[in-house]
Amino acid sequence: MKEKRIYQCEDSLEGIFSAVYIAWASRYGHDNIELEVLGMEEEYNLRLFSEYIMVESNPENASKVANSIKKKISAHAYQMVAKAALSNDKRKANAIYHFLVRGFAYGAKVEDHLSDPYVQIIFELNRNVGNDAHLYTGFVRFTELDNGILFAKIEPKNNVLEIITPHFADRLSKENFMILDVKRKIATIHRSYSTWILTTISDEELNTLLTVTEKKEKYEKLWKTFFESIAIKERENKVCQRNHVAMHYRKYMTEFMEDKEDKVDKEDKVDKEDKEDRVDKEDRVVKEDKVVIEVKIENEGK
Amino acid sequence: MIIQESMTIEQKLSILSDAAKYDVACTSSGVGRDGKDGSIGNTVASGICHAFSADGRCISLLKILFTNECIYDCKYCINRASNDVPRTTFTPEEVCSLTMEFYRRNYIEGLFLSSGIIKTPNYTMELIGRTLKMLRTEYHFNGYIHCKAIPGADAELIETIGWFADRMSVNLELPTAEGLKLLAPHKNRKNILNPIRQIQAGIEESRENFGMMGGNKGAYWHTRRKLDQKSIAQKREEDALLHIGHKDQIRRVIESKPEKSVGFSNRILTGWEDEKESKILTPNHRIYQSSQGISSNIETPTLITKPEGLSMWNQFGGNRGFVPAGQSTQMIIGATGETDYEIVHVTEALYQKFDLKRVFFSAFIRVNEDNALPVLSGGPPLLREHRLYQADWLLRYYGFEATELLTKERPNFNVFFDPKCNWAIGHLEQFPVEVNTADYYTLLRVPGIGPKSAGRIVKARQMAKLRFEDLKKIGVVLKRALYFITCSGKMMYPTKIEENYITNQMLQINEKLPSHITNGGITYQQLSLFDNPQMLSNG
Repeated sequence: MKEKRIYQCEDSLEGIFSAVYIAWASRYGHDNIELEVLGMEEEYNLRLFSEYIMVESNPENASKVANSIKKKISAHAYQMVAKAALSNDKRKANAIYHFLVRGFAYGAKVEDHLSDPYVQIIFELNRNVGNDAHLYTGFVRFTELDNGILFAKIEPKNNVLEIITPHFADRLSKENFMILDVKRKIATIHRSYSTWILTTISDEELNTLLTVTEKKEKYEKLWKTFFESIAIKERENKVCQRNHVAMHYRKYMTEFMEDKEDKVDKEDKVDKEDKEDRVDKEDRVVKEDKVVIEVKIENEGK
Repeated sequence: MIIQESMTIEQKLSILSDAAKYDVACTSSGVGRDGKDGSIGNTVASGICHAFSADGRCISLLKILFTNECIYDCKYCINRASNDVPRTTFTPEEVCSLTMEFYRRNYIEGLFLSSGIIKTPNYTMELIGRTLKMLRTEYHFNGYIHCKAIPGADAELIETIGWFADRMSVNLELPTAEGLKLLAPHKNRKNILNPIRQIQAGIEESRENFGMMGGNKGAYWHTRRKLDQKSIAQKREEDALLHIGHKDQIRRVIESKPEKSVGFSNRILTGWEDEKESKILTPNHRIYQSSQGISSNIETPTLITKPEGLSMWNQFGGNRGFVPAGQSTQMIIGATGETDYEIVHVTEALYQKFDLKRVFFSAFIRVNEDNALPVLSGGPPLLREHRLYQADWLLRYYGFEATELLTKERPNFNVFFDPKCNWAIGHLEQFPVEVNTADYYTLLRVPGIGPKSAGRIVKARQMAKLRFEDLKKIGVVLKRALYFITCSGKMMYPTKIEENYITNQMLQINEKLPSHITNGGITYQQLSLFDNPQMLSNG
C-alpha cells in the first residue's frame, strides 16, 4: 500500500485551492491523497504512515483551480465549494478535493450525486453555512454610535461575514456601517452609497471597538419593550424559542442582553438555560470523543 | 373606557403591540426587491425572521395596532368596545420613526400595521393610508409592509393602501358565516369577502402589467397548475426535466398545453358549484354563483360586487406594483363549533377562489369572560392548530385535496398521526413505492418524504441507484418512510403492509411535534391507545 499524503493548507478558499492544485499536480493517485486545513484541530495527532506536505497559498494556482471549476463543472458548483470553504467543519478541505475529483469527471451533474459520501459532505456544509448566514441576516443587531455609524458584533460558528455583508450593503446603502466578527478579528466596513471592504482587525483596534459601544440607546429600550409585550403569555414556551434562536446566537442580540437594573431577577432563568445549553454541548463532545476512541482502537487493531 | 392623554411612545408601543399580538402571520415573505438609492430597505423573497419571542413565535415585522380603540364589540377580542382597557393611538410620525429606527438596527424586516376601528372604517383606513404614504414617500422606506384592510372601508381607500403595502390581509375572523354572526355581530361575511375579492382582482391586474414583479402566485396555485389535467406519464416527463433543472423546457411544456378557463372574470365568478362542497358551506357561504346561475341568483343579498379595476395607475403605477407579496387571511380555531373538515374545505376554497398566499389559523385564547365563548379545558387548542397547518401544507405543496384528507364521517384530524400518515395508513393499497422509479408526486405521498427530499431523490437516482442509507443523507425520515417504500425491490426491514401492524409500529415512534405543542401541558404524549375513544374511531 502506498503511503498516504496529507496536504495541509491555510484556512481560506485560496489556501484550499492552492493545496488542491499541488495535490492534483502530484499525480500521486486521488485515493492516497488527503487535504486538511491547519489550525482546525484542537489536539493534533500526527498519523503514522503518512507524509505531511505543507502548501503555501498561491493566488495564481488558486485562481487556476477556480477558473477550471467554473468552466468544467459549473458556476453553481463553484459557489457550493466556496460556501463549504467558509464552514467550521474540519472535513471541508478534503471533501472539497474529492468533490472536485468527481466534478471534473462528471461535470455539472456532480451536484446531484447525493449517494456519494463527498458530495454529501459538500451538500451538508453548504446547507449548514447557508442556514447560518440566513439566520444572521436576521440576528445581526446594529447599535448607533454617536457619529451615526451603525456597528454590529457577531461571533458566528461558520465564517458567514462576507456572505451576509452584501445583503446589508444593499439594504442599508445610505448608512455607514461596520460588522465585526469578534472571534476571527475581521470586519466588513460599508461607506454610505459606496462599496464595502473586508479587513482584518488588530488586537488594539479590537479592544477599542469592544469598549466604544457601551451606551444606552432609546430605541434599544423600545425594542425590548416591544419584544416583551408581543409574546403571548398563554403560549409561553422557552424551549421552542431556544430551538429557533440557540443560545450562541444571543450574545450580541439586543433583546437578550441584560439591563443592569433588571439583571438580578433574570439571572436565575438565564443561568438555567445556559446550563441546559451547556449540557447539550457536553453531550455532543462526549459522543465525539467516543467516536475518536473507537477509531483509535480500530487503527491499533490493524 | 380609559383614555390616557400624553402617553410616552414607550407606553403606546407597549399597549399597541400587546394588543396586536394575537394577530398571526408575522411573515415577511413573498416579494424580493432590491434596495434603491435614496431610500432605505429591500425585501427578500423567502422572508427573514429577526427574533423569536418568549412564546417561540417568529418576530419578523414591527407588529402593532394603529389604535386599540374600537367601535366594534367582537366577543373574542381583547380590544372590544366593552372592555375596560387603556386605549391609545399612534400618530403617523410615531409609526414611521419607530419603523425606520428599528429597521436601521436590523431588529425588523418591516411593518405589520393593523388597527381597531376608530370612528368609522373609512376614517381608520384613511389614517392608516396616510401613515403608509408618509413612510414610503417622506421617510423613503423600501422594506416590507404588511397591512390589514378594514372591512367596510371604501374601495378607493383600500386600493391606496394596496399601492403602498407589500402584503395585505383581511381577517376572515371565523371559519363560517354563522360563527361570525355569533361572535362578531357587527361584522358580516360580505364585508369581509368584498375587499379580499377587490385585492385579488387588483393583484391580477398588476401582474398583467408588471409580470411577476407585480405580484406572484402562491404555492397552492403552482402545485395545482403542475398537476392540472395531466396523466402520470406527462407529469413524469415534466418531472424529469424539472429536476434536472431545465426550467425553460418545462415552462415550454406547460405553456404549450391549452389551459382551461383562464379568463379572469370567468374564474372569479365561478365557484361553489360543486354540490358536495356547497353542502358543507352554509348558505351565506355560497356567495359566488356559477356562471350559469348568475341571473337567477343575482338578488342574493350576499352576492359580492364585481370589483372595479385599479383606478390609480397614474398616481402609483410603476413604483412597486399592487400588493406584490399577495394577500393572506386568518381565522380563529376552536371558538366556534366548526369541524376540521369544514375548516380545511374553507381553506381550500380560499386558495382556489381568492388566490390567497396563505391562510393562517390561530388557536382560540379566551381573553374575555363571555357566555358565548367556549371554555377549553386544555388551554388553547394548539395540537389542532398544528394539524390544520400540516393539512394546509399538504394542500399547498403536496397536491392533496381537502376531500382526501377528511370526510364527513371522519370530520376531525387524528390526534395521534399527522394528516399525511393518517392518509397513507388508510391507503395502503398504493404502497410500497419503489424509490428508484416512482415519480415525484408519488414520492411526495410517502410519509417521511417532503418536497425537498422528493426533489433530491429524483435527481440523485439518475446518478446511481439509491440505497436506504443514501435516503437518510438526502433527508428522508426513514423511521416513518420505511413502511411505505422499497429500494431496488427490497424493504428496509421485513415488515407487513397491514393497517394494524403499521399503526402499532408508528405509534411507537413519538411524532416529533414542534415544541410549542409539547410544552404547554398538552396531554398528547400521555394518552394511550385504549383510553382514547377518538383514536379508535378516527384512526
